[in-house]
Amino acid sequence: MTNRLNKASAQRPKRMMCRRAITNVLRCAMITAGLFVVGCADDADDTSGVQVNLTLDPSPPVVGEAVVSLVLKNQDGTLLEKAEVKIEGNMNHAGMKPSFADLTEVEPGKYDGTLDFTMGGDWFILVTAQTPNGQTIERKIDVEGVQAR
Amino acid sequence: MTAPTQRSLTPVERPTRRRRGVAFDLLRVPLVGRFLKWHWSRTVLQIPLVLLSLVMIIHALWGPQLAPKNLGTLLTWVHFRGLVVVVILLAGNLFCMACPFMLPRAIARKLFKPKWSWPRALRNKWLAIALFVGVLFAYELFDLWSNPWWTGMLILGYFVAALVIDTLFRRASFCKYVCPVGQFNFLSSTLSPLEVAVRDKDTCLDCKTKDCIRGVRAETSPANQEANHQTSSSNLQLPVIQRGCELALFQPRKVGNLDCTFCLDCVYACPHDNVGIVSRLPADELSAEGARSGLGRIERRFDFTVLAVVFTFGAILNAFAMISPVYALEQWIADQTGLRVEWPILSAMFVVGLVLEPALLLGCAALFTRWATRSAESVLSIVKRYARSLLPVGFGIWLAHYGFHFLTGCLTVIPVAQNAVLRFVGSPMLGEPMWQLGGMSEATVFPLELGFLTLGLIGSLAVTWTVSLRGASHDAGNRARVASAGVDRMTVLSFLPWAILHVALYVAAIWIMMQPMDMRGTFLGG
Repeated sequence: MTNRLNKASAQRPKRMMCRRAITNVLRCAMITAGLFVVGCADDADDTSGVQVNLTLDPSPPVVGEAVVSLVLKNQDGTLLEKAEVKIEGNMNHAGMKPSFADLTEVEPGKYDGTLDFTMGGDWFILVTAQTPNGQTIERKIDVEGVQAR
Repeated sequence: MTAPTQRSLTPVERPTRRRRGVAFDLLRVPLVGRFLKWHWSRTVLQIPLVLLSLVMIIHALWGPQLAPKNLGTLLTWVHFRGLVVVVILLAGNLFCMACPFMLPRAIARKLFKPKWSWPRALRNKWLAIALFVGVLFAYELFDLWSNPWWTGMLILGYFVAALVIDTLFRRASFCKYVCPVGQFNFLSSTLSPLEVAVRDKDTCLDCKTKDCIRGVRAETSPANQEANHQTSSSNLQLPVIQRGCELALFQPRKVGNLDCTFCLDCVYACPHDNVGIVSRLPADELSAEGARSGLGRIERRFDFTVLAVVFTFGAILNAFAMISPVYALEQWIADQTGLRVEWPILSAMFVVGLVLEPALLLGCAALFTRWATRSAESVLSIVKRYARSLLPVGFGIWLAHYGFHFLTGCLTVIPVAQNAVLRFVGSPMLGEPMWQLGGMSEATVFPLELGFLTLGLIGSLAVTWTVSLRGASHDAGNRARVASAGVDRMTVLSFLPWAILHVALYVAAIWIMMQPMDMRGTFLGG
């Protein structure tokens, strides 16, 4: 009996150490989470007010290359010219390689390019446009149901 | 039953005793074996997985909500699933061995000793089956593959559930009765080449302490354990310093990998160093009949039958949901019924895929077997006997499906991790994201998928043949007819319908794998 009591009292500091360890682990987790919240906030949308109109040919899109046409307009409706426009196509499912394309300005404010839809399913396109005055515009546009051939 | 002899074993005697025909024992491999036999090896394996899980949860909840750019979704739905099935195929249930959910539980148990026993009514696989189906259903309904936040919540939910259940209830209640991933791993690992098993059965016959199941208690050193056997009831009051099997698998009577988490508690507890991780013929355990420790007779358990059915037909359903025809079917059902919400349509598809279709196919096969062999056995009893033969083909389908995602996308973790660090730290510490990295091409992976499916089919046919052989010779009421008709003919007749069923599943799986992938999260075109 005495032996067991001695053991119980010997286990107390162990428990205290365990509690401290758990508290420290939780603290670390909270700090890491906080840093991630700050560092990884989704910035796909911006507040520039620039309108991005995207059309695809063929529409609805099918697996393979599609012509992407993009019209950029300022908040006041004027066309946004001479921007550097890049697009990135991703599937909704993780584990797929993205497709990239640089769009070229074919008319004032209108940008064309070709994007390869490598697989059927839901896609989204990330548009990044760098305006002549250094502003960066980012948009996420959903492309639902790219049809498998 | 003869009483075991009273003498204890000495190290000198052991080599002369009858040995199990073990070709390979992982615990005898230099370094690896030594590491695994070290008491803290499981913790060492768990720590990186817990840290990785934390990163996944944090990135899933607060990182970019774009599945292909999120470590939570990518690692869960591509790497974790793919690696689990590949590792099970090549080695064994190593995920359960390094299960991250068990580390917080182990820490919590240092502070709170669970007081309750798992409710008797739930000591079966029904809850786990419901959760397994629930996860498959939620995966389709909420498009978990494209939803980082819900994926993060799912991982978090797993941690919380494991912690709460195992803090309240004794032994490994979560693993044995609740965890759907665990059930998936248990069934899959029946096809593994390695199992935790005794090396020399004779040594167990002489063992008095049964530490592999009871655990080692304080003040009961290996040297005097045999002597203390006489007072084992008083020893039960002493604290356990090394757990025995928490899943109630008594090593000498354990058969195969079912319900085994590879925790190696039995290895640490055995005073005779008589438990190893040994090689065996994959799927061989599925041919075994009779009582198994911790499981009973699986060929008589309806819950185990349903689990095997859900595992196999769930594999078909899960793969079918990623190709175009499923959307055409959903559209057709919506047009016919006027429904514009997904859950009733999806529920109907699950009922057909996991209940009606298996009931019809297995029922027909069992009826044919009964008719052809003129057996008096009930249809349900025949279904229960043959259900385990579904597991190899089912595992082949999971392997082909998850293997496809993993092999075609394994390298995408590099740019996603680079991107996460870039956004987190603000500088490309791991380099600029190499988005061009993907994995193997679909054309290269397809033959592998065919190989996995074919291996599964061969396994199912082999198990079916053995079950048929046993059935023909064991059916007491049928023995005379069997003798006159010849065992071969009876065996072939009972084998045939099940073989056709397995081939049908195999062909269906090949058809699905040949369809172009069409992964949509939107219902009826959004």
